[in-house]
Amino acid sequence: MNVISRGVRNAFRNNIRTLSVVVILGLSIALALSMLLAHQAVNKKIENIKSSEGNTITVSPAGVRGFQGGGNPLTQTQLNGVSNLAHVDTIEESLNDRLTSSDTNLQSSVQLGQLGQRFATNFGGGSGTISGNSSFNPADFTPPVTVLGSNNPTDLANTQGGGTFTLKSGAVFSSTSSDDVALVGTALASKNNLSVGSTFTAYNTTIKVVGIFSSGNDFSNGLLVMPLKTLQTLSSQPGDITSAVVTVDSVSNVNSVTSAVKSKLGSAADVTSSVDQAQTSIDSLNSIKNISVYSLIGAVVAGAVIIFLVMLMIVRERRREIGVFKAIGASNVKIVSQFMVEAVTLTILAAVVGILISLAAADPITRTLVNNSTNSGSTSSVQTPGFGTSGGAGGGGFARLRQQAGTGNGPTFVSSGSGIGRVRNNITNIHAVVSWNIVLYGLGAAILIALVGSGIASWSIAKVRPAEVLRTE
Amino acid sequence: MLKVDKLSKSFNGAAGKVIAVDGVSMQVLDGQFVSVVGRSGSGKTTLLSLLGALEKPTSGSIKVGNQDITVLGDRALIKYRAKQIGFIFQSYNLVPNLTALENVMLPMEFAKIPKDQRQPRAEELLNQVGITDDKQLRKPTRLSGGEQQRVAIARALANKPQLILADEPTGNLDSQNGKIIFGLLHQLAKKENTTIIVVTHDLSIAGKTDKTFRIQDGKLASSK
Repeated sequence: MNVISRGVRNAFRNNIRTLSVVVILGLSIALALSMLLAHQAVNKKIENIKSSEGNTITVSPAGVRGFQGGGNPLTQTQLNGVSNLAHVDTIEESLNDRLTSSDTNLQSSVQLGQLGQRFATNFGGGSGTISGNSSFNPADFTPPVTVLGSNNPTDLANTQGGGTFTLKSGAVFSSTSSDDVALVGTALASKNNLSVGSTFTAYNTTIKVVGIFSSGNDFSNGLLVMPLKTLQTLSSQPGDITSAVVTVDSVSNVNSVTSAVKSKLGSAADVTSSVDQAQTSIDSLNSIKNISVYSLIGAVVAGAVIIFLVMLMIVRERRREIGVFKAIGASNVKIVSQFMVEAVTLTILAAVVGILISLAAADPITRTLVNNSTNSGSTSSVQTPGFGTSGGAGGGGFARLRQQAGTGNGPTFVSSGSGIGRVRNNITNIHAVVSWNIVLYGLGAAILIALVGSGIASWSIAKVRPAEVLRTE
Repeated sequence: MLKVDKLSKSFNGAAGKVIAVDGVSMQVLDGQFVSVVGRSGSGKTTLLSLLGALEKPTSGSIKVGNQDITVLGDRALIKYRAKQIGFIFQSYNLVPNLTALENVMLPMEFAKIPKDQRQPRAEELLNQVGITDDKQLRKPTRLSGGEQQRVAIARALANKPQLILADEPTGNLDSQNGKIIFGLLHQLAKKENTTIIVVTHDLSIAGKTDKTFRIQDGKLASSK
């Protein structure tokens, strides 16, 4: 029997009290750990955004976004000049086009639906397929198939639909490929019974399916992705680029490179950096981070107060015992150490409970924080599958329909899948992953609080003269 | 030898200054069994606390052997209490979640007696006071009052102290158990050659000690 074994045994002296303390303190530790993990997850996301998303510049032909507006495409020559600018790491180039029934034997996976009919009625047939006579009947209309030519086919973030590229089967063609091959979205593949190795016709050419991908949304799952050079050749748009994403070596150089690109391309291009967009994500995340910090502080303070008051209560309850201990030769250090061991035992038990709770609760709590933040913010956005996905006239190709039919002005859709959708993705795609170093830090902090709390409480009693304690009882 | 010289202790109470012990001088020889009697509030327990270094006197000296314990620092006092003093309280004051055996071993731990010597010594003492077999492994709540006081006596003897201070050791016991405990103390004092000072208001017990001091209003009224 020594100080440690006595301290540990004392922790179980009153089972009901031990259980109560462990549960209450465990909840406090669980909240603190969850907030710590949420804070870490948000921090990681912010760093990720800063390193990967705040450092891009989007270059579009002046007056054009996706299939909206009008103007001339950018050329490979122009973008070669951009790639030679200082601090430019890479340029992701793409060309968008649409395939109607006269261009391909594929059928779009997008359903016309109520919205499609409305758009078709308002803006005419356009590039979709109209059966029968020349007068437009929405019921006869079939949306076109959107095709993307890209030198980075696995990055869908800058396409109209956005999403995360996941290869379901097959392989991805190389960035410099000029073969007649394509990656097909799962919805489009399903609609046309395509699998890896299948062929289809586009631009009067037989195209081989080399891979099937999923993007996480209906719009992008209806995409056809081909090598940039192939699409440029087949669609008779040699060297044309409808969108480019310039990656800069550091966020701090984005503004200067943006100016240089604007200067290089002049009025031929609209140049926008992702700094503001990244900042929007970061601002939202910072508010979540602040909530997690305040909650963390609150939980830690609550835990410290709980352990201090519990130990104060226990120490006061055992004043007489402390007096007896001193009378039979115990030093203050021994007495204080014994109470510290007792407090640490209770804290470790509570920490185990807290860790178990936080293992289960950290991720849901983080998601709740994120959801509350996004619900109260202005960045939340829900798209109707297939139509109006942030590429504007994407699904049904109605902006192009309008342009081709010359039927006047249509609605202005929110442009670019890389905008609001990405901000939303940044904010909502956060998961608190339990890292053991954080758990150990939390445990260490809890034990430190227990040591200080019990030390102060027991020292206040241990320093009094034993006769004083024995007399007052 | 215990030599107390002009020992005083005063407190600041609600009604002003209270002199609990007022210029007490006394001498107790080694191995003597001494009683201190007096009415409630006369200062007996305070005198015992001063002798046990549980509190510091306002003035005067207490010499145990050649050492004046009133001038000792805190660390030396802890050592003094651990090695040279044994306490027996009226309400036993055993640690409730320790067994009888562990209670007796406790002061040995504080006196830094080697681990392997603690248990045999504790068992021997408990056997001497009549706590045997499974009772040694019982917690105080599962022992009678008389048995608890026996454990307290064994605990007081654990470190072979020079001086045992007992504050009303039979106060919570019936007369029969009181006599048994008193006899036990007497017997052990002789066997271990330990000085025992018992505070009591039971004059029948006081009459059987080697020496009796009567305290009245904090002063030593008589000794015989």
